[in-house]
Amino acid sequence: MKKVVFQPKVRYKLHPGYLAWILHRATGILLGVYLFLHIWVIHHLSQGEEAFNEVMAVVQSPFFHLMEIGLLATVVYHGLNGLRVVFIDYGNLAKRDIMRKVVYAVLAVSAVLVGAGAVPMLRLAFGL
Amino acid sequence: MLGKYFGSGRSGAFDWFFQRVSGIALLITLFLHFWVLHYATEGPVTYQKVMARMVSPAWKALDIAFLIFAVYHAMNGFKMIIDDYVHTPGVRAVLVGALWVVAIGFFGLGVLTIVTLKVQA
Repeated sequence: MKKVVFQPKVRYKLHPGYLAWILHRATGILLGVYLFLHIWVIHHLSQGEEAFNEVMAVVQSPFFHLMEIGLLATVVYHGLNGLRVVFIDYGNLAKRDIMRKVVYAVLAVSAVLVGAGAVPMLRLAFGL
Repeated sequence: MLGKYFGSGRSGAFDWFFQRVSGIALLITLFLHFWVLHYATEGPVTYQKVMARMVSPAWKALDIAFLIFAVYHAMNGFKMIIDDYVHTPGVRAVLVGALWVVAIGFFGLGVLTIVTLKVQA
């Protein structure tokens, strides 16, 4: 009898579900790194008013307000796509054509939310 | 040898289920966090404004819960990535061990920040 060995698929096709997965992983890594930086920045709160206000002045500068738009995009996409992954089990979202539509919907809704959130952040960054 | 190729597909039901539970919890707490700090608080964020909220034990409890969900979700996510790409037992042990150290370290730093606040009435 021929021995059956599981062969991993080495060639990938860039379909919407695969793109969604790559983005989910990349945003997840970024958010994990951000979380640890955030905890470190906020720990200045226990070192008194002066230390905290000093570090908060740095992270609330125009440059950081611009970067904040990237953070918003990362969080919104990861959250919405995570919700999509959860609902795969409850809403028949694994079906090829439905999955495709839902991935595009996640990207579209993310774009709208990030666009709306970016307006006040841009105003802060440019002092308008 | 299947485990080598299935990666995080074999991490087990616990990792999978609690990644969902913490993920849903984070959607709720993170939205609240974002709303409170970007809309309910007039910027810029200062010590006085944050401490006005942190005198409340309810806010402290909520922030600790938030911290638990966030650190767990991040650590579990990193562990799944290690499961997917790192198959050598020795390297896995080093990476997963380092992950535990980092996660516990930052969780401790976060909890200490919240519980050691010098609250002026």
